[in-house]
Amino acid sequence: MSKVIFLVDMQSFYASIEKAANPSYQNKPLIVSGDPERRSGIILAACPLAKQSGIKTAEALWEAKNKCPEAVVVRPRMQLYIDVSYQITKILEQFTDCIEVYSIDEQFIDVTGSQNLFGTPQQIAKKIQQAIFEDVGIKARVGIGPNKVLAKMACDAFAKKSPDEIFQLNQDNLAEKLWPLPIGELFGVGRRMEKHLEKMGLHTIGNLANHPVKWLQKRWGINGELLWRTANGIDESPVTPSTHQEQKAVGHHMTLPRDYQKLDEIKVIILELAEEVARRARTHHYIGHTVSVQVKGSDFQVRTGFNRQKKLASPTHFDMDIYQVALQLFQKHWDGLPVRGIGITLSQLEKAEIHQLSLFDDPLEKIKLNETMDVIYQKYGPTAIVRASSLMTAGQAHIRAGKIGGHDKGEGL
Amino acid sequence: MRFIIQRDLLIESIQHVMKAISSRVTIPILTGIKIEATQEGIKLTGSDSDISIESFIPKEEYGLEHVEGIEEGSVVVQAKYFPDIIRKLPLKTVELITDDQYKVTIKSGGAEFHLNGQDAVEYPHLPKLHTDNSFELKNDLLKDLIKQTVFAVSTVETRPILTGVNMIIEEEHLDFVATDSHRLASRKIPLNLNNENISFKNVVIPGKSLIELNKIIEDNEETITISVTENQILFQTKNLYFLSRLLDGNYPETSRLIPEQSKTIVHTKTKTLLQAIDRASLLAKENRNNVVKLQTKSNNEIEISSNTPEVGQVNEDVTTESIEGEDLKISFSAKYMIDALKIIEEDHVKIEFTGAMRPFIIRPIDNEHILQLILPVRTY
Repeated sequence: MSKVIFLVDMQSFYASIEKAANPSYQNKPLIVSGDPERRSGIILAACPLAKQSGIKTAEALWEAKNKCPEAVVVRPRMQLYIDVSYQITKILEQFTDCIEVYSIDEQFIDVTGSQNLFGTPQQIAKKIQQAIFEDVGIKARVGIGPNKVLAKMACDAFAKKSPDEIFQLNQDNLAEKLWPLPIGELFGVGRRMEKHLEKMGLHTIGNLANHPVKWLQKRWGINGELLWRTANGIDESPVTPSTHQEQKAVGHHMTLPRDYQKLDEIKVIILELAEEVARRARTHHYIGHTVSVQVKGSDFQVRTGFNRQKKLASPTHFDMDIYQVALQLFQKHWDGLPVRGIGITLSQLEKAEIHQLSLFDDPLEKIKLNETMDVIYQKYGPTAIVRASSLMTAGQAHIRAGKIGGHDKGEGL
Repeated sequence: MRFIIQRDLLIESIQHVMKAISSRVTIPILTGIKIEATQEGIKLTGSDSDISIESFIPKEEYGLEHVEGIEEGSVVVQAKYFPDIIRKLPLKTVELITDDQYKVTIKSGGAEFHLNGQDAVEYPHLPKLHTDNSFELKNDLLKDLIKQTVFAVSTVETRPILTGVNMIIEEEHLDFVATDSHRLASRKIPLNLNNENISFKNVVIPGKSLIELNKIIEDNEETITISVTENQILFQTKNLYFLSRLLDGNYPETSRLIPEQSKTIVHTKTKTLLQAIDRASLLAKENRNNVVKLQTKSNNEIEISSNTPEVGQVNEDVTTESIEGEDLKISFSAKYMIDALKIIEEDHVKIEFTGAMRPFIIRPIDNEHILQLILPVRTY
């Protein structure tokens, strides 16, 4: 018997939460936007009313206001959204125990075994929509399929547009429904891939599905085959309750409040990021073998910036070790152009069970110092002690402490 | 150029110079072997500009004629093909002839190859060293020095200077030191110098050069002359000329890192300990750091153990000759310990510990000239 997988997706998640929290906004267009004074001042979410005026997510706040001057603008409350997302997971747990949180507003669930209890897939989907709407006041869309890929495409390409916001895709209606859609709608096809495929004459999902897979493999390797399988609705991957079992890397990225041009200012940021990465690696008891640096240039047209990595002589989870290598990488590859964002990642992680001591630096002193700092952080928060350099104008440590993913944390539930 | 040569001698010479030849060089002609014929004999040269090797085959030696019918000249042949051709020829002798287009004809029995060559004038000149900083050593002693230290050089480029072996001459002693910062190997020998003034501290020879040199020089009591300049070192025997670049930078001062006092001293049989560690490491290989634990017990016993939760665990009690001082429990890399014990030829070793978080020293008993130092690992 084939499986029944749902993708449950929340409509305009952040905006819907804000509307549910404040009924007086119910019939007004509402947008959630980052701080207009800062780089994060973009539209994070817009309610369906606001979207009718042509507002799009990720555009600048001033652009959105031009389109819809009467819109209510609220600042994000990231902690609240995380809490609501968790609440929705709890609701879904009433229907099945097999839930994969895919993103903050999308969750895969496997209801194959729930049909005897709750009815046909269509009936279960309706019940889920009702439960979510009654509990948190948000409209959910449900894509149904025999696997995750079809559930996802059923939701994105059809459920969002159908009146009851439920749609089922399976091998029977695949050719009729999915195949006529333009290739860009296929899950996993980005803008660049779309262009490549169109150049090959593959304009619709059906074109790709019926293209010989070996030619795709030849050009894109495993990824080519993956796309072909997606187009044919083939996906073996199960719904896995926690996708993040083994962490592969610890990384932090910062979009700067303005473009930084001076090395001295950038150094402050690299050090802050190195500290955050090191601290998180330590909290999860990881050490990493490789440090990488991602830099985004300020010019969107000409994509400047780079992503470079270096393997360490011995694994680490200490800020200064990461900082030294990250700075080296940065200085070696930076073209001197203004920098818009920087990220640092520690990868090739392994459990920090042992630490090989070294002749030339005294790791014991470093270990003790960091253990002490970790205790202070845990007890008094991440800004209880900061480096003096973070107090200079370039520093971001204090501002970042109040944020999640670069946006205001706000109060939780 | 033209000559007839004993094939086995030519093969040996080719093998020597091939040690210096790399397919990844910036000057294309360095992918070739230079052959020079003079009335004295045949000289082969290979170089990757870090290491250069010249091997000489004399026309006559010990009354035997190695080369006949020499017409002087020179040519550069492609190292990709030349060695295999010579190796597979049918007879004991081979004849080489070049024409004015640098085409090399290789004849042996009925086989005849025509191989395109290059003008030897294009081949870079090897620098001639002019230095008084020279001293002599027996071949076998130099091989010992290399074998007992070079394994400890660093293999990562994080601190490039550590990829070399530090050669020190001080107070009539020659000392080789290598460390990758987690372990250190040192071997000292007394040196009878004719030249009293010779002394240096910051000569760092790339580990790779020494490994290649060790493959080429024979294990005998013949003499090798070592000459050092600012940035190069030359090893010279009767028929071999081995030139290597030296590493730039300051080698860290290592003598002060070696603990002078100890808290626990273990005397034991070298082989017994080596085998126990080797057995314990069988399970430890799974985890990347290959860690074993050593714990002192009563009755002069030490326990060697290793635990890899996914695989299993192993314990072994080893009877030692004596344990003096404090009790100790220490963890370290089995690989470093095995490397260190393997190069000790003496039957008994003394291990001096100064606590679980401090470096420890392994020395053969009655031989202060060999020193192996290992940094422990800290377990959480």
